[in-house]
Amino acid sequence: MESGKQNEYAAFEEKVRRTVYLDNLSPNVTESIVRTALDQYGTVKSVEFIPNYLEPRNMPQCALVEMEKGKQAKVVISTLSEFPFMMSGMPRPVRARAAVAEMFGDRPRKPGRQIRICWLDTADPDFEVASKLKQLVKRHATETAVMLKVNSKSCIKIHSFQGV
Amino acid sequence: MVEVDGIENLEFKWGKKRGTGGTNTKVQFYESFTYDGLDYTLYDNVYLHKEGEPLPYLGKLIKIWETASRLKKVKVLWFFQPSEISNYLFVELAHPNEVFLASGEGVGLANINPLEAIAGKCNVVCISKDDRNPQPSDEDIQMADYVFYRTFDVGQRIILDKIDGKIAGIDVKFIFNQSGSLKPCSIHNFSVDEPASENAIETNGRVVMSKLNSSENQIPEDDRQVEQKPVVAENGFNHKAEENSDVKASSVKPNLSLQQEVVPGVVSESGELAKTNDRSGDRTGLSLKIKANADSKLKNPSGEEIGCVNQVKSEEKLKSVKDTVELDERPHKKAKLDNSVKVYSDKETTKCATEPCGTAKIPSKKLKIDDKFKKSTNCKSPAVPSNDGIKTGDKAMEVTRRPDSDRSKWFGELPWEESLQDAHEFGKLVLFQNLDPAYSSAEVEDIVWNAFSETCRAKMVQQTAYSSPHFGQAFAIFKSREVAEDVIKKLDERCLLLPNRRPLVASIPNPCFSRKQSMFAGHLIVDKLKSQREMKEAVSTSHSSQPNTVEYDMAMEWFLMTERSNQFWKKLYEQQGKELKKLRVNFKSK
Repeated sequence: MESGKQNEYAAFEEKVRRTVYLDNLSPNVTESIVRTALDQYGTVKSVEFIPNYLEPRNMPQCALVEMEKGKQAKVVISTLSEFPFMMSGMPRPVRARAAVAEMFGDRPRKPGRQIRICWLDTADPDFEVASKLKQLVKRHATETAVMLKVNSKSCIKIHSFQGV
Repeated sequence: MVEVDGIENLEFKWGKKRGTGGTNTKVQFYESFTYDGLDYTLYDNVYLHKEGEPLPYLGKLIKIWETASRLKKVKVLWFFQPSEISNYLFVELAHPNEVFLASGEGVGLANINPLEAIAGKCNVVCISKDDRNPQPSDEDIQMADYVFYRTFDVGQRIILDKIDGKIAGIDVKFIFNQSGSLKPCSIHNFSVDEPASENAIETNGRVVMSKLNSSENQIPEDDRQVEQKPVVAENGFNHKAEENSDVKASSVKPNLSLQQEVVPGVVSESGELAKTNDRSGDRTGLSLKIKANADSKLKNPSGEEIGCVNQVKSEEKLKSVKDTVELDERPHKKAKLDNSVKVYSDKETTKCATEPCGTAKIPSKKLKIDDKFKKSTNCKSPAVPSNDGIKTGDKAMEVTRRPDSDRSKWFGELPWEESLQDAHEFGKLVLFQNLDPAYSSAEVEDIVWNAFSETCRAKMVQQTAYSSPHFGQAFAIFKSREVAEDVIKKLDERCLLLPNRRPLVASIPNPCFSRKQSMFAGHLIVDKLKSQREMKEAVSTSHSSQPNTVEYDMAMEWFLMTERSNQFWKKLYEQQGKELKKLRVNFKSK
């Protein structure tokens, strides 16, 4: 049973290696467009858009494109990094990166991972530290949100510069 | 005192015959039978128990027979608990104890089960205003274990208000209240002379499972509030018909998964309990007793020993019963955890042996299977406080898998996005932050289960290029708004530490579902062209830009911007990483 899990996880990791993370996609981009676009680099096995629930609305889309072979994925990434690639509009190029496991929605568990949790008592000295950590985490999340906003503002700026 | 034997000793007797089977004349149908001291008739509502399952099922006997090979079978038409169908249907309950009768065609309507799976009778009153339904009195409704008036069509998967002529081939008159049955449940061996003790019980048991509150139920005479709502629907309780009126307490139905305070209470009290249980006939024993036992701090030494022993034995008995009983699989059910039963029994006996140690750490609200899962799979000794030098009131727990038997998943689940929207609307959605980004959704569900004894549906938020590498987030959908708010409150006020000293943070998120994006920064809209060419071939294809175009230059600007923002993100996350590290160093333990 364990080996089954490990196999499953190994297969997942392998899939991650073969997958390209595409970014800066226009909202009009659909799965078929992505497929057709990347078909020239190899066989596209699947396309999955990453849903965006928490981030500001006008963020570009992202997608995970699984290629048949790891090598094909690498080719996609390197080509797209060198030459601007347009999809469904221009001139904002699409960005490609190597995918990582955390990008996948339905990932399997990592076998052998043991999680130990415990509740801290208020009397515990660590409770203070932990509370501070919680605050910090919340702050970081806000910082990230702010960064995203700044980002999208600068995108709009460039867009308006380039527009006629 | 107590029989520890298996099921063979549970008394059984056939009642009225009905006819023989068509194709196989060796099959004999019956209209009634007596099992373990309770009389059952066709169309009665019963509890069925499945090994390893905390919750019993509710069903209506629609066929009873004995096969040629002398096996006793019943066909059961199911009732659904709201939690079993609320996963993808918004259910507004007319009554806190409302259940839904299965109707329509398809999987999940009815099943054939061995008769031995029956765990007791249940009083389900039909409150439908249909003309054909003998209307129950208010008293009837209050005395009922459950009520129903709607059905759930298993084929169409919707709730129907109207009841047709036949359900599962049974004439609807058997679905409605039977004219004879509306009186308060027949009292078997009621003894009037012990109201005092009954009252005593009632105060103890009153430490109620807040979920089902019994305030509305007023039973005449002694305030039987306690046993009312139990917990019948409460998780973690097993029911078995208990009919013995003598203080045998042999059929004490301990709540198997109950965190045994084993302050079992006086024998005489158990006796009382037994009696009072009988009184309510249909009411299956669960409850009262167990609750009184569990929650009360009855330091009543006299009966303690005996009570203790009783419980152990009866637990064993119940366990063996469970072992031998099988229940037909409901659709889509997954197997239970093996560990649970074994772990449980270990714990029970040890607990019994030692002094009842400590009170429930977790508020009685969740009198659940906590202990089972608090143990690691190696069955470490339970209730040993403090590990790893963390001085805590609660112990560190190893996160184990929660049982897969989440009934709310029988009929398949709504696609995640819909569930998310639905959950957000009803306030059941929680956002967890500061998880390890590498966790999978299932692990999040397990953590929630172990920490709060609540099931939830979780999904890790997928990371993107600009997500923080330091923590992961996950959405979790809980059963109800109250549960969600409670979880958030707990995490806020207290502190749940995940490995690597990550305290879990929870909040109510405000996700956006609309996909409409009017503008995408970066793509120029070629209006002019469109009007000129009528959009015939104005579809832009995907292509790499050539260096000698304006497009290329513009694209380069974008590249530049992207690079810059990459740098920003990198710096930001580095900074955040440093801040985190600084704080983490302050942890005293480990």
